Amino acid sequence: MMQQITIHDEHFSLDPTGAIFWHEQNMLMIADVHFGKVAHFRKYGAAVPSRASSANYKKLAEAMERHNPDTICFLGDLFHSTLNNEWRLFETWAKNTMAKIILVSGNHDIISPHKFEALGISVSEGLKITSFLLTHHPTEREGYFNFSGHIHPGINMQGTGRQSIKLACFYKKEHQLILPAFGNFTGKYILHPSEKDTVYAIVDGEVICVS
Amino acid sequence: MKKIELIAIAEDWFHQKNWKPFPFQKKTWRAFLQGKNGLLNAPTGSGKTYALWAPIVLEYIKNNPDYRSKKKKGIKAIWITPLRALSVEIQQAAQRFADDLETGLTVGIRTGDTPQKERAKQKRSMPDLLITTPESLMLLLASKGYAKLFKTLTAVVVDEWHELLGSKRGVQMELGLSRLKTICPHLRIWGVSATIGNLEQAQQVLLGTDKALLQESVLIKASKKKKIKVKSIIPKKMETFPWRGHLGLHLLEEIVPIIKNSKTTLIFTNTRGQCEIWFQKLLEKHPEFAGELAMHHGSISKDTRLWVEQAIRNESLKAVVATSSLDLGVDFAPVETIIQIGGPKGVAKFLQRAGRSNHRPGEASVIYFLPTHALELIEASALKRAVKERVIEDRIPYLLSFDVLIQYLVTLAVSDGFIPSEIKKEIETTFCFQGITNEQWQWCLNFITLGSQSLQNYDEYKRVTVTPEGLFKVESRRVAMMHRLSIGTIVSDSMLLVKYVSGGFIGTIEEFFIGKMKPGDTFVFAGRTLELVRLRNMVAQVKRSKKKSNNVVSFMGGRMTLSSQMSEILREELQSEADHKYQTPELKALKPLFAQQEKESIVPKENEFLIETFKTREGHHTIFYPFEGRFVHEAMSGLLAYRISLLSPITFSLAYNDYGFELLSDQPLDVQNVIDNNLFSTQYLFSDLQKSINATELARRKFRDIAVISGLVFQGYPNKMIKTKHLQRSSQLLFDVFRDYEADNLLYQQAFRETYEHQLEEGRLRLALERITNQEIIWKNCKKPTPFSFPIITDRLREKLSSEKLADRIKKMKLKLEK
Repeated sequence: MMQQITIHDEHFSLDPTGAIFWHEQNMLMIADVHFGKVAHFRKYGAAVPSRASSANYKKLAEAMERHNPDTICFLGDLFHSTLNNEWRLFETWAKNTMAKIILVSGNHDIISPHKFEALGISVSEGLKITSFLLTHHPTEREGYFNFSGHIHPGINMQGTGRQSIKLACFYKKEHQLILPAFGNFTGKYILHPSEKDTVYAIVDGEVICVS
Repeated sequence: MKKIELIAIAEDWFHQKNWKPFPFQKKTWRAFLQGKNGLLNAPTGSGKTYALWAPIVLEYIKNNPDYRSKKKKGIKAIWITPLRALSVEIQQAAQRFADDLETGLTVGIRTGDTPQKERAKQKRSMPDLLITTPESLMLLLASKGYAKLFKTLTAVVVDEWHELLGSKRGVQMELGLSRLKTICPHLRIWGVSATIGNLEQAQQVLLGTDKALLQESVLIKASKKKKIKVKSIIPKKMETFPWRGHLGLHLLEEIVPIIKNSKTTLIFTNTRGQCEIWFQKLLEKHPEFAGELAMHHGSISKDTRLWVEQAIRNESLKAVVATSSLDLGVDFAPVETIIQIGGPKGVAKFLQRAGRSNHRPGEASVIYFLPTHALELIEASALKRAVKERVIEDRIPYLLSFDVLIQYLVTLAVSDGFIPSEIKKEIETTFCFQGITNEQWQWCLNFITLGSQSLQNYDEYKRVTVTPEGLFKVESRRVAMMHRLSIGTIVSDSMLLVKYVSGGFIGTIEEFFIGKMKPGDTFVFAGRTLELVRLRNMVAQVKRSKKKSNNVVSFMGGRMTLSSQMSEILREELQSEADHKYQTPELKALKPLFAQQEKESIVPKENEFLIETFKTREGHHTIFYPFEGRFVHEAMSGLLAYRISLLSPITFSLAYNDYGFELLSDQPLDVQNVIDNNLFSTQYLFSDLQKSINATELARRKFRDIAVISGLVFQGYPNKMIKTKHLQRSSQLLFDVFRDYEADNLLYQQAFRETYEHQLEEGRLRLALERITNQEIIWKNCKKPTPFSFPIITDRLREKLSSEKLADRIKKMKLKLEK
């Protein structure tokens, strides 16, 4: 159900939750969780079921259990908006997590870095590990392979009889891999891949290479 | 003053104008003055404004004998109209009457177009008659102290009630009236409706379920029936007339002499896209019409539409190509001729359009019917009979629309707040919510106060709060503002404004169309060739282009279904065809086509149900002909495909039109197996429908409206984009979240209920299935496609049913690559 890929001789597992596990670094990479989005909407009068937010933690626990990482790296947009009551849930989660947590901040991360640092989370704009560059926005830099989020990539699959379906996906270009949004109330942006791109779609708990 | 004296005042006024009041007008005056509520069934252009405005004025005179010297302050009546465009006409007529009688009564308009300054002035001092829309009435209920504002109200008149009845705006009206009934003890409620099949029900929906009130009410019919003459435009050469198609341009030259011989002609099309194309082609082929031909549809800017309407009245136009946007309302005296392009699908709609012409008494209204493909001539023949026999469709009112109820409750909470027990009593008297259970009511209250959760201490949901006294109130100014803005916003999250770079507004266009284009591309819209300059926010900026373009703007949706009344007559027409009677010119013209049909297959009689099978390059076709209209066929094809797929693994591609539906497969289908297994049974209908493919997709589409109305999705005003960057969400996303985490949510469930009741027409489907089980099933294995099957098998809008696993299906699909 997972998809194994090799980049620059290092090994990665594409997890059906939307996370990537980096074997050599023992690190789990996760993009665009958008914690607090449900609470943000509720605060402004839109009755989104609050159970939708607790489901994010379930998914997180599922991925952690499968890979048991030393480090978790969030590739931006960890929190959707300003501080709200979902922060307390996150605090509890962060305190009980044994792994080291890193946040590469994104455009939605407007909560003060001090708040994160108080929880022992290190915050940075981007992270270089060997020949890999971890950022929120997709970035191209000479000599580096880039992991990023931000886009919420999705693709449109078409079959005979005019059927079509939209799926979240991992989107790989020559020097770049964009992770799907991990959060479950986030939506997706439909990309139209070219022949050179590789697309791994998430379908019913499976990651399938569709290109 | 006595009633007779009062009525004499109005009659005198009529005589001064050299008019004579119609019997229905006098009947309405008397009923109103007796204090009755009621429904007036009168067509457009019959003097309905005076039928109801006159007694309101007379009532005022009665209660204020010294009305000439002393004017009593406060609003006297509200006139609801579904279209803003109609309000000016009503205002002029009403004001004239009030002035001539020297009453000093004022008439004001309040709609979305009314400037803020004017609205504020109205709130300080209401006009005596307020002409407004259902949304604007809701907005008044959302303002503080509305009870005091309406205290002096004596009458509400709901114009074009048939138009509101089958929509959620009708529900809005029902709720609004339930409130007004309590705060205005002397209120009279009157509706005006065109002829529909269920007038008695329309009256009940308007007045509510209170028995005493209903018994004291009247239904008045303006019995004058207009003569209507239907003429079909029959192609001269039937052999070359296409078997399929929906534009009808083959017959374009046929209507040119009709236009030339008539003062003003209205040409009705069924969709906005068709309207654009006809306008374009008429000018292209006949440049002499330039300047005398105009276009009118719902996506064109209001100014242009008003200009066109005025130009019709001035007789400065020879012809107007229009959609249903011109169906309603104001009279256009100079219109002599109507042309209907393509099947109107319903008798009521056809009659309404026919009625737009020639208001000279005694003379018949003429309407030409132009078929877009051969089989539509049967529809023409059926229409003629329907018109003769006055068969008219019903308008089905909505039931338990929780989205509208939630909007209404928040509206009341925004203004003065409400006590649930009081409001519950009121809404239980409305037709829509007469069956609401206690649980459902509690759920709605919980939704607006706790966001449909149980009380949790970390939840910050904020919309309506409950004061210690038990008053439900909105305290956040932001929530109040967002709610006011969202009342009456047009539902469509994919509409873009089209504007000139220099600023002029042209109209609105769907995102899917403009999304395919790059800057520099040209397209035809509102009769102009435009070049896309850039897309910015929700605005497509364009400039005029001299280039020629065939890229005519198109719109999604808008496909209508044959009404059940029309379907029935159509089947009867076919019976006469099967008997080779050729009673009408239309059926006579179709002789060659029927001959071809009978060579390959049969023309089904009333008691026969035809199934055809044949093989082409595309695969094995099986065609069923229930003649029940597109929506029922959509449901029935899904249902049947699902049931067949249970017998053995198979994959289908589905297509349907108003006459029948097709199951296309790569393997032959054993029709005998379908008949033997009794697959047309109504047993387990509901659960089978739910499992058949498209229910979820259809419900997802319905959910869009529901999410906007109930306030789950906030849009702001189209031209006042409000900064809500972190609040952007689509109804699609919400639908998925509800499906996964809160499937018992009443709004989520309502989307399905509406799909079954209004989209798939479950009731009609059931009747159709029952009919089929009593019919003789005739299975014809044909050598090649028959004329009947042709429009269906060439339909490109297809859906698929398959019992394979999603992951397996995906593996067989292809990625959509960049072009």
